[in-house]
Amino acid sequence: MGATKPRPSGKASIAKAQTLPARTFIIDNGAYTIKAGYAPDSIVEDETKALSACSVISNALAKTRDNRVYVGSQLDTHITDWNELMFRRPVEKGYTVNWEAQKEVWENSFFDEKTVRSKELRIAKPEETTLVLTEAPNALPVLQKNADEIVMEEWGFGGYLRCVGPSLNAWNEVQSLFGDPIVKKYDSAVSPRECLLVVDSGYSHTTVTPLYKGQPLQRAIRRLDLGGKHLTNYLKEMVSMRQYNMVDEAYIINEVKEAVCYVSDDFARDMERTWKGNRKRGQLDIDEGVTVDYVLPDPNGSKKGFMRPHDPLLNAKKRKSAISGATAEALSEDVLVLSNERFTVPEILFSPSDIGMKQAGITDMILQSLSVLPIGLHPALLANVLVVGGNSLIPGFMDRLEKDLREVASAECTVRVRRPQDPIRSTWLGASRLATNKEEMKKIAITRQEYQENGSAWAGRKFTGPV
Amino acid sequence: MYHVELLPSTTTHLTPGWTYVPDRGFDPAKAAITPTIGRKRGIREPGSRGDVSSRQANAIIRHLAELDRENHKDVHIPIPVKQKDAAGRGTRGKVTSNVRRILQSQKTFRNYLDDEEAALAQAAQATTQRPPANKVTKPSSLRRSSTPATTPKPESSRPKKQSSRVPASQRASMTPTEPPSATTTEDTEKEPKDKQALIKTEHDNDPLLRSFIPSAPSERIMLALLAEPPLTYNTSRAGPPITIKSQRYFCCMCGYWGKIRCKNCPSRTCGLDCYKLHEDSRCGAFY
Repeated sequence: MGATKPRPSGKASIAKAQTLPARTFIIDNGAYTIKAGYAPDSIVEDETKALSACSVISNALAKTRDNRVYVGSQLDTHITDWNELMFRRPVEKGYTVNWEAQKEVWENSFFDEKTVRSKELRIAKPEETTLVLTEAPNALPVLQKNADEIVMEEWGFGGYLRCVGPSLNAWNEVQSLFGDPIVKKYDSAVSPRECLLVVDSGYSHTTVTPLYKGQPLQRAIRRLDLGGKHLTNYLKEMVSMRQYNMVDEAYIINEVKEAVCYVSDDFARDMERTWKGNRKRGQLDIDEGVTVDYVLPDPNGSKKGFMRPHDPLLNAKKRKSAISGATAEALSEDVLVLSNERFTVPEILFSPSDIGMKQAGITDMILQSLSVLPIGLHPALLANVLVVGGNSLIPGFMDRLEKDLREVASAECTVRVRRPQDPIRSTWLGASRLATNKEEMKKIAITRQEYQENGSAWAGRKFTGPV
Repeated sequence: MYHVELLPSTTTHLTPGWTYVPDRGFDPAKAAITPTIGRKRGIREPGSRGDVSSRQANAIIRHLAELDRENHKDVHIPIPVKQKDAAGRGTRGKVTSNVRRILQSQKTFRNYLDDEEAALAQAAQATTQRPPANKVTKPSSLRRSSTPATTPKPESSRPKKQSSRVPASQRASMTPTEPPSATTTEDTEKEPKDKQALIKTEHDNDPLLRSFIPSAPSERIMLALLAEPPLTYNTSRAGPPITIKSQRYFCCMCGYWGKIRCKNCPSRTCGLDCYKLHEDSRCGAFY
């Protein structure tokens, strides 16, 4: 690895670089959103309060219909017309690939005084800040090297730690989540959970990461190449074929997905409920509850889309009101009728074979992960399954995973599947708790000076394991 | 007789790789040698053949690639031009060569992955294979499989198992070398009591009745496990499912169970209504 030595910088920073800067900024760089913010100086026990320091920022450049480009947090504030929105995402398949775009989003969100959302999100002096950056497990070494070089040489952070995102969840307070007795040790610093199996179902993929004392057991990390993006695209494809052409409406369909999709606890039963033959037989009450209408957003009236119970006579009513001259509002309304799409879409996470994929579903993936670990660890890991990532918010997801896992796991093992209060920001929260443990940070993070002396190849080795 | 068939592959080259493969279709001359793949059977029972045809496999790969897309159309969204790029740099000084190279790189993940695969293939030739990693420990793996999960254990050597709420896991994770953690404190108190409560019977050594509690791996093993390097991107991908469920098919029109197979293409429909619709509009559109 011919890593060129980075340039030495100002004298002041070199003198300071001996120790890690006290302030820690955490960036959980997800494919869909960045979760970022400063870590508190000491442990904040109240989770809601601790999370208030964490902002969720879209990690994308978006181009609207009228060819305007918005970056990062501007997406939430500046865009009113979400139709035909195009995205460019710096993170591909869960890994930061395009640093040109990523730099733009970061600059916009954290460094540029004019565009940064609030003062709490601004990194005014990178050389006096320690950066904790997450990455998806099993990243390509080239991409890791790129990240290290950009972070240290472009912005010049005083301290830096790159680590596997899911592993940070072990630092969270999960005892109460699993109903274990909480033993408070006031004198000692925060420590990681001994055994934890983290299922991270995000935008690009779903990973299973068994952790031992906060460190990933690398050989057992498994990945299913299906995530929220695939669900959205799958729903988009179905809707475009059966109802309106929505192929360019990724954003709107994502909203539809978040509003209507659920994981079925009895796939076959729900399938029968939504059979269109029921309607002909006049058994309207059967499919009630599953079939819903989604009213699409209206950019002209700047109205948001919403879900409502299915109205089978909607078209007839519309025709009638058109004759009698009703308001234009009711007529211009566009409605998507969603029935089996609601549960067949998230179902592919559990059985990818439904779309012809030859990979195992989440449940089987957990078993595959365990199969390469000593059997003595299985009970401890199965009893501590923590699900993070946006897909865990799909209604029914947690129950289904626990039920399926219970069926396949050995009968002697207790199976407990839990979701933290905020599964999206959970990784960030774990990182913020780790950051308060200065001893641990000193062990695993690197300083600017160390980087300048040893180069990026060394940094890469340091983050992979003990040097 | 030979024909040209596109083998399924995940590569994204614009020019698909064509290759010649021997025709495995029905050939009366060879019917006696390879009788299992008769023409008619192939049509009537497509599922009975273990493998999908290469055309179908290609269609699935294309579909998955479609699902993986960010936007439906290929668009290029340029970085908005700023008035002065160096204005924000301030104290940071010049851009290093590394940074410039990375920022200018327009490589996609696919490119990086191909690079790594090539590098790995080269490295694999140079170095010998590491010993198989799954030799670390397999304590009592044989017993595990032979223990029926539902065996009632009236004379179990650990009677507290049913009554106690504490899962076996916590006990298992307890080894003398480990520092007692919050979850294991409860067990330390129960352990001595448990030993007194043992009732000796002749079934104690019966392998079928013995309750299985796997011993936790030692600290040394755990350290060895933690020290292992990460797997590569491709090896960490989840493998094919362990519990084989029968393939589910869905109606390509309405999403209900796909009961009828189209006679012209591999898609399925739920009934005659959908089949007619499919035949009129979309048959052959995908494959």
